[in-house]
Amino acid sequence: MNIIVGVSDMKVSNDPGSVLITYSLGSCIGITIYDPVVKVGGLLHFMLPESSLDLEKAKKNPYMFADSGIPQLFKSAYKLGAKKQRMKVIVVGGSQILDQKGFFNIGKRNNMAARKMLHKNNVIISYNNVGGNSNRTVKLAINDGSLLLKISGQGEIKI
Amino acid sequence: MKSIKSIAKKIGRLKPVPQVSHKILEIIEDPESSMSDLSDVITYDAAVTANLLKVSNSAYFGLPGKFESAHQAIVYLGMDQVVDLVLLGSSSDNLKKAQEGYDLGEGELWKHSVSCAILAGELAEKKQAPQKHLIFTAALLKDIGKVVLSQHVAESYQKINTLVTEKGYSFREAEKKIIGIDHAELGGIIAETWKFSSRLVEIIRYHHSPQKAENCEFETSIVYLADTLCMMMGIGVGADGLAYRFHKDVLENLKISEKDIQEVIADFGEIQHKVDALLGIN
Repeated sequence: MNIIVGVSDMKVSNDPGSVLITYSLGSCIGITIYDPVVKVGGLLHFMLPESSLDLEKAKKNPYMFADSGIPQLFKSAYKLGAKKQRMKVIVVGGSQILDQKGFFNIGKRNNMAARKMLHKNNVIISYNNVGGNSNRTVKLAINDGSLLLKISGQGEIKI
Repeated sequence: MKSIKSIAKKIGRLKPVPQVSHKILEIIEDPESSMSDLSDVITYDAAVTANLLKVSNSAYFGLPGKFESAHQAIVYLGMDQVVDLVLLGSSSDNLKKAQEGYDLGEGELWKHSVSCAILAGELAEKKQAPQKHLIFTAALLKDIGKVVLSQHVAESYQKINTLVTEKGYSFREAEKKIIGIDHAELGGIIAETWKFSSRLVEIIRYHHSPQKAENCEFETSIVYLADTLCMMMGIGVGADGLAYRFHKDVLENLKISEKDIQEVIADFGEIQHKVDALLGIN
């Protein structure tokens, strides 16, 4: 069964028949986590780096921001028996418009916010595919933790 | 390179924009016209009324079943909102189909167009733009050129993609180089063929390069910004990805800060599910 993760959304699952999917990450970031021992996976699709922008919105929907969404992603997976030290963590997205460089570069800021948050909590990123000018679609299979990454203009890769 | 003429010939295959939309666009651009002119056009057209009721009763407004007549919708939602909804309803035929060349599935270009129009409308409001409907309509139709160009992009995709990924071209520059015309330029020709106002033509033609819009740079800049934000949010983004030029000066001229942009994105993130509900109509 496909479980769609929308924009500013998060889902976890331990159903081996399910696949977590998020479509079309532009400057947004998708983080997948997977514990192979208990076969629990999660996927977060956040839009913006910091909840300090609008605390009320963050309260209503913590998945909109990196700093409020990432802790929820891990906590939800822990509830299903996942353990941090076994977790495989993948970060994708954070694209930018051509020539965006430092200006209004939310993709880059999103990536930095995710890295900072994960580093602070001693989480090692096992794979990342970020930046560039493509948009990305991610599919995480719960039965084996395999990840399909579709990158516009470049096709699909299995991780 | 294809002859531009042979590409332009295919414009005739598009579904023409309904007469009522032309009338509405004429009225809203005419400073002499009144609210009752608009109200007459909308309430006397059965197809428009039917469409308007479907859209206004959708989950987008959270009032399902509330509206039974166009008049009621106008009173409750206000004419501004109703005009946008009518224009929305009359543009879906061409934009809903899959666009193979851009790797956009059925409904994806439509989702992008509607989101961009709503976002542009909100930015227009924020910036107190006098021509809100013009901006909304231009944002809705800006990618109409893609519908005609899609097949040619599909045929030349490898060449276009090579220029983008290896030579630093934007997707639009690569379209122009390989096919001889890009989707914005072609969109301008379509808008002319459809006898849209010169301002609407200009905004569509220059939606990736607002500095070139001589008569309505401000309005074009707002559409450009809305498009940029939709791409960043990944809304209805296809094979062209985010490979379009970023013009810092356009945002500076609009006096838009990075914080403003983040706030607009956050606001839009909150209403996204409502927009999805709106897309399910028709």
